[in-house]
Amino acid sequence: MEFRKRKTKRNRQIADYDREEIRKGHLQEGLIFFLTFVGTTMIAFAFRGMVANPDVNITMFYILGIFVVARYTNGYVWGFLFAVLSVLSVNFFFTYPYRNFNLTLEGYPITFAAMFIIYVFTSAMTTDMKEQARILAHQEKELMEAQKEKLRANLLRAVSHDLRTPLTGIIGNSESYLEMEEKLSDEEKREIVENIEGDANWLLNMVENLLSVTRINNETAKVNKSLEPVDEVISSAVVRFKKRFPEAELKVFPPEDLIMVMMDATLIEQVIINILNNANAHAHSVKPIELKVFEDDDKVWFCIKDYGVGIDEKRLDTIFDGAGYSRDEEGEVDGYKGMGIGLSICKTIVIAHGGDIKAKNHGEGSKFFFYLPKETEE
Amino acid sequence: MVQKLSILIIEDEKSICDFIAKTLNGQEYKTTAAHNGRDGLAILTSTLPDLVLLDLGLPDMDGIDIIKQTRQWSSLPIIVISARVQEKEKVAALDAGADDYITKPFGTDELLARIRTAIRHSNKIMSDNVNNNRPYSAKGLVVDFEKRRVLVDGNEVHLTRVEYKIVSMLAQNSGKVITYSSLINQVWGPYADDNNRILRVNMANIRRKIEKNPGEPEYIFTELGIGYRLIEDENLL
Repeated sequence: MEFRKRKTKRNRQIADYDREEIRKGHLQEGLIFFLTFVGTTMIAFAFRGMVANPDVNITMFYILGIFVVARYTNGYVWGFLFAVLSVLSVNFFFTYPYRNFNLTLEGYPITFAAMFIIYVFTSAMTTDMKEQARILAHQEKELMEAQKEKLRANLLRAVSHDLRTPLTGIIGNSESYLEMEEKLSDEEKREIVENIEGDANWLLNMVENLLSVTRINNETAKVNKSLEPVDEVISSAVVRFKKRFPEAELKVFPPEDLIMVMMDATLIEQVIINILNNANAHAHSVKPIELKVFEDDDKVWFCIKDYGVGIDEKRLDTIFDGAGYSRDEEGEVDGYKGMGIGLSICKTIVIAHGGDIKAKNHGEGSKFFFYLPKETEE
Repeated sequence: MVQKLSILIIEDEKSICDFIAKTLNGQEYKTTAAHNGRDGLAILTSTLPDLVLLDLGLPDMDGIDIIKQTRQWSSLPIIVISARVQEKEKVAALDAGADDYITKPFGTDELLARIRTAIRHSNKIMSDNVNNNRPYSAKGLVVDFEKRRVLVDGNEVHLTRVEYKIVSMLAQNSGKVITYSSLINQVWGPYADDNNRILRVNMANIRRKIEKNPGEPEYIFTELGIGYRLIEDENLL
């Protein structure tokens, strides 16, 4: 009940707001109309003082005025008003007898008709144009909404899949431990607990990824950036990665000079960790994974290179789109456990920073690289 | 008989409380648990534990208030337990007087190391000042406070005055996280600009002078958004 009351109140507020907007719009259009008219008339007066036979040109000014009013106001009313006023004003100010109406003037109906026709055409044209622009903008907005919706649905599907898999492992392993505790050997028990630990760690990584997405502004898809030294972000990422996979081999090449770049350090750390995790889990690299950072004039590049099996060429284009989950990929869904969501989050984060991310095969393995634009602090 | 150190755990999540208590009871610690802030404060003031593990997200009060109230009368070590994403909260807790923090989820090794460090530092404050001037040393990094020298694997590293100040402060608090703001206060004074860029530029230079590979640090660890931590002094382990 309370809720409904609040809702109707809100609707009323919205209606009030709309009415207010419309009123403001009318006021603005009236102002445009008035200013254009006064302006045109003043220019016409000034012009009359300068030129010997100004009549034709003065009509031209008013025609221009009609264009302006039709272009910058909505609907037909203002344009029509301007056309009528123009005809009258030309008659009153600029044709003999001055400062008086003379409706019997020769050719007057023709002038009037001509201006009226011009007005009708321009008004119709501009109204049409504006309507089309509005429809186009509306369609674009709907398209964007649909894309957002698709992204959200993809993410949700990926998340529920990715969360359910390790949870199934944890529940299954702990149940079998509890039910068969006496029958299990110490070795088997250890194995079960290790499985639980592995799945739990995996789950944690996933949750951290999802949490990181919440740091991206929902409306503007932007992040809170501050100037951060690149060294600290990569060293922090490397320390966290090594904590989880102490036996993983990694070579780090930090930049020669100190580079400061605008970013949300926690998010970029997450991107680096995701790519490292991905390389560690899927690449089967025969040499240490390499992490390199360098800069050019307006970008800072992060490059993670492995010497493993490489990426299927067919998947290269869609690897950041959570494509591991689309059905048409001959049942490889589980084979690429977690690859989709981690990398799609990488892309979301990098794009939100105004950068871009790509993957490539380099002959001996694969290479992921992304850049952040160098910006100055706002 | 060896007197066991007592640790108070203030944490509302029972399973985490149990896990911490089990781990610590297995070592030479005695634990008490409180599941909300009010009970926690009551036990804290009546039993005076040697260390407090405090979860910031308590059901009845803000963990930071517990730190502030405790700091009015005691300097007993407080280690904050918190989730990863809340850097601001961690910084606020550290600036309010917490000694260190540990991020959920944590392993038992990490927890025990943090507790040892915190207790050692509180003992150091109590004991005489002679020990304070003993050089810091870990993994080949030596900071000689008397001669104001820094050595890596026996080779002297030339640091600027400001860089030395930063390193020596980290060394005196080795193993503990030091926030940007407390480093800035110590090195540039209380009226320094809040902006931590100058600190971070200095830090990058220090890292280039001390670390073999700044991308894979051995000594100075970055806690993104919070501060820095220098590896624990080996003499004190």
